[in-house]
Amino acid sequence: MKENIEDTNRCNCSEVNDQNIESVVEEVVNQTGREKDKVIPILQEVQKRLNYLPSEALKHICRITEITPGQISGVSTFYSQFRHLPAGKHTIKICQGTACHVKGANLVTDAFRRVLAIGEETSTTSDNLFSIEEVACLGCCTLAPVVQIDEKTYGHVKPTDTENIIADFLHHASKKTRSSEVEEQEKAESEIRIGLGSCCVAGGSKEVLAEIISIREKYGLEVNLKPVGCVGVCNQTPLMEIITEDKTLSRYTNVRTDQVEDIILRHIKPVKLDKKIRYRINDIVDTFLSDSKLNSPANLSGATREKVLNNFLKKQLHLATEKSGILSPESIDEYILLDGFSAFRKCIYLPDKNDITNTITSAGLRGRGGAGFSTGKKWNIFRQSTDNLKYIVCNGDEGDPGAFMDRMLLESFPYRVIEGMMVAALATGASEGIFYIRAEYPLAVKRVRNAINMCSSRGFIGENILNSGFSFSIRIFEGAGAFVCGEETALIASLEGKRGTPHLRPPYPAVKGFGDHPTLVNNVETLALVPWIINNGADAFNTIGTEKSKGTKVFALAGKVAKGGLIEVPMGTTIRDIVENIGDGVAEGRKFKAVQIGGPSGGCIPEYLADTPIDYEELTRLGAMMGSGGLVVLDDADCMVDMARYFLTFTHKQSCGKCTFCRVGTKHMLNILDRLSEGKAIMDELDELEKLCISVSNGSLCGLGKTAPNPVLTGLKYFREEYEEHTRGICRAKRCTSLIKYVVTDKCTGCTKCSQECPVKAIPFNPYQKHEIDQTLCTKCDNCRIVCPEDSIEIVNLNDQY
Amino acid sequence: MISIRINSREIEASEGETILEVARRAGYHIPTLCHSDGIAHYTSCMVCMVREKSSGKFMPSCSSPVMDKMDIDIESDEVLQLRKKAVELLLSEHRADCEAPCRIVCPAGYNIPLMNRLLSGGDLENAGKLSHNQLNTSEIWCFHCPGYCENACRRKKIDIPVSIKNLQIFASGKNAVSDKDPVKPTKEKKKFMSLAGKLEERELLEWLKETDATLTRHREISSMPDAGEEALSCMHCDCRASEDCRLRELGQEMEIKDPRGKIVNSPAEKKINRETNLIFENAKCIKCGLCVRVCEDRTDEPVLCFINRGFVSIISEPLTENFSDILKIRTAECINICPTGALSWFKDNDVDETVK
Repeated sequence: MKENIEDTNRCNCSEVNDQNIESVVEEVVNQTGREKDKVIPILQEVQKRLNYLPSEALKHICRITEITPGQISGVSTFYSQFRHLPAGKHTIKICQGTACHVKGANLVTDAFRRVLAIGEETSTTSDNLFSIEEVACLGCCTLAPVVQIDEKTYGHVKPTDTENIIADFLHHASKKTRSSEVEEQEKAESEIRIGLGSCCVAGGSKEVLAEIISIREKYGLEVNLKPVGCVGVCNQTPLMEIITEDKTLSRYTNVRTDQVEDIILRHIKPVKLDKKIRYRINDIVDTFLSDSKLNSPANLSGATREKVLNNFLKKQLHLATEKSGILSPESIDEYILLDGFSAFRKCIYLPDKNDITNTITSAGLRGRGGAGFSTGKKWNIFRQSTDNLKYIVCNGDEGDPGAFMDRMLLESFPYRVIEGMMVAALATGASEGIFYIRAEYPLAVKRVRNAINMCSSRGFIGENILNSGFSFSIRIFEGAGAFVCGEETALIASLEGKRGTPHLRPPYPAVKGFGDHPTLVNNVETLALVPWIINNGADAFNTIGTEKSKGTKVFALAGKVAKGGLIEVPMGTTIRDIVENIGDGVAEGRKFKAVQIGGPSGGCIPEYLADTPIDYEELTRLGAMMGSGGLVVLDDADCMVDMARYFLTFTHKQSCGKCTFCRVGTKHMLNILDRLSEGKAIMDELDELEKLCISVSNGSLCGLGKTAPNPVLTGLKYFREEYEEHTRGICRAKRCTSLIKYVVTDKCTGCTKCSQECPVKAIPFNPYQKHEIDQTLCTKCDNCRIVCPEDSIEIVNLNDQY
Repeated sequence: MISIRINSREIEASEGETILEVARRAGYHIPTLCHSDGIAHYTSCMVCMVREKSSGKFMPSCSSPVMDKMDIDIESDEVLQLRKKAVELLLSEHRADCEAPCRIVCPAGYNIPLMNRLLSGGDLENAGKLSHNQLNTSEIWCFHCPGYCENACRRKKIDIPVSIKNLQIFASGKNAVSDKDPVKPTKEKKKFMSLAGKLEERELLEWLKETDATLTRHREISSMPDAGEEALSCMHCDCRASEDCRLRELGQEMEIKDPRGKIVNSPAEKKINRETNLIFENAKCIKCGLCVRVCEDRTDEPVLCFINRGFVSIISEPLTENFSDILKIRTAECINICPTGALSWFKDNDVDETVK
């Protein structure tokens, strides 16, 4: 074994023995607290230090806190984050989000399992080096399929890449990474900006930044370096912008590390003599001896480079994402400089704080988490609840697979969301704020935590803020992995240290919530829009959008679209506009079939209805739902039965299990869909399925169960022929593995590439002869089709009519 | 005071009351499973559904607070259909073994497990009475019968079936042979039976926990000690709550079809604590949470809790405890509140079971 790699990969976790467990637990409890509602943070920290939750740790926690054995058992088995068995030293997280699913995430999982020889019953390699975990959306949908190993993210993963990825990871883990920390420099006149959202980082922005830093040092350049938050152009990352002394802005997309030097030096020249000479020498050498100058994007005219971006950015309207690409997510000074906290200042000195709620109501702001309830109305109810202690919770538990808007807002505009929360507090008499952020968003947690600290140090959070008499404190709570906790009553239950099961409303949390105190739960995007509305006025907001749906909405455009990313568009923009103009149409020349809006609670809207404007009521009328903003584009290679099955699998797995209809009903629905995808279902079962959907929708306790049937219902409504075809054993999209087979066509040149890649040896190695696939062995992993240089492998229907 | 309508009748109610409370006060019957007066509601089973006419929404009446001008529909077809669906779904997740396979295939419907329990408790007199009452004659039919009961006996899959014929002959005290025809089969079809006969090996081992696998087996029964020991080998395949199960009652009331084989979830595990006389069968649990709620927040002894999430969530002892250490004080409370046979007395010493 290579010793270096082994050394660096040695787990840093404490060795696990009883004595050590007890002392770790005691340390954690002393830091966190002994009350019952501290159970989740305690378990999170103990698991961080011990790699898992040994039984002795659970016992000791119960001994020294108010937490009961029943509570700790119920909680530690409810949330996905917790594990009771040790995991491998490195965890390979394979995203199961919508965009990743349509791009074949299940094949990637199979590939990793194969390559690492991980058996059926387990998820860890025999040497305990790697564990595989299928995780709900990582929020990097435009890079689908996405795999995250520890902190490193890999995008566009193909099943044939798995060995390389593992090797690359182990190699990097042992290398010392170059610094990508930006040191503050004397303010220079020119500036280089680099996007550092999670997707950007996954695309390699950190390496580009490290290269920029080293170039700056090498040539002694006088230039500011500014990491900025997400620009939303996720399909073009890494994204670099250079602003020269004369204030011209040049943008570069898809920047590679080897292009950095050339790009920078085109715009920014070294000042010192010795560096100038060095530059000239390098310049001449490069011009004569390498191609890199020729191919450098710096050679393209600004206009050409901009065109690619402009189409994407032109139709957008940035309200929640105002100043995107300019604001650095970590600097409070810059935020203040660019009008940050002006809404808060306006409100804090208002004699009648009710004006704030009235503004929000007349602006027409509706909850952006999905349900679209009038925010002003909710604030009013909350405002009228009398209690000394009132909470505001920012719901950052974005769990929709395929949605990553809230992640972006928290990572890139944390100060804005905080400002929105504080305006809400002023308007409604709240005294404590809680940011509920998914554990799967560590960068968001870090940025928000940093922002809260900066605000505190400037006196924007704390006692008697700005001498107004208003006091407000904010803390962060990390979700422990349960989609259902996006539902406000389940969220509150988890804050209280309970299992995340919803309860019937009324009573509404705005009246009786966390700890029985009034609690206002608002989505991240909703709060992010508040400062804009206060600053620009209700009328400025309600002139945008449609009659009932005002303002803008952030969408995560992903799936089979050419240019995916995060976009903010006015309500009323049509679906077709988004897909074809902003997203540049369906990729790879395929046919636009449908869009999935609203995630697992939403539905599929077929292409012929793509001229529908984005509007809460319009979408509900069609059987879908606005949802939180996930917008996944589907082409003719996507099977509608498979999509419904994918979403239902998700909701079924995420169901809390409390109410009969969701717990058991979704299982029955899933059984029928499984049978459909295997060609074993009969026509009668379609009617049974529909009836079941309606019962589950009527009988479920909370939104999860009530909306879980939507993908199936819209599928049956708009794509009924496809469902009926499945009862006859045909999958027209050629996706359902039981109904298709892979065949080699006559284009085959006998190059044996497929035979080499086949993991089950289903293709005999016969050079220069047309290859044959042994159908009895074939697992339909898609490897052969991917590697074939002649495109000679086709998928055909078993019960061929097409 | 608030005024609501139920089935178009005006009824007065106070704020804070639930629809169920008001309806019951007014004399209406709404079925429930996970509700118990005096215990905080949990809104799990959804059997108590009603419909609010002006909004068209279905709501669980046990937890919905009354609001002024509500117009409640308790008995329309849609409401009854939804309730029926809830019970159907629960049945599909519930291992219904209301009657033992031996009793079901017996042409006379003889309560064989009860006979076994009486004999193993030494009560020969009542065992004899049972035999005479249920087999409807003073003659011995079992002698002629090919012995469907023994063929269906689950013990057969482990070693040899319980010697039911001989036990019955012994209990009834006669040894005369009759040449009359066997009794016609009982018309009453005993519901419900999810998985009769289809037991896997791992399930058989669970059933074996009901008895002592080291007991000597007897084919011929000539004395009471032998009868007692052989009767002890019975694996108690019938449900302990068969006369007393709220789910069975509702299923029969709503005329629900026997799920037979369409079951979706059946963890076969049986947890037995012979000291506290408690048996817990997860396969019969409908996740109503009453056993957890009735003991909520007790810190004097470990109690039951929910573990896992969603479809695979189950009731269990806490992860840090052994089953034998829980519910020493609260055994009766939990058993009494359980609406199905999931939590029961292991040995029911009150053999007031019908010797009819």
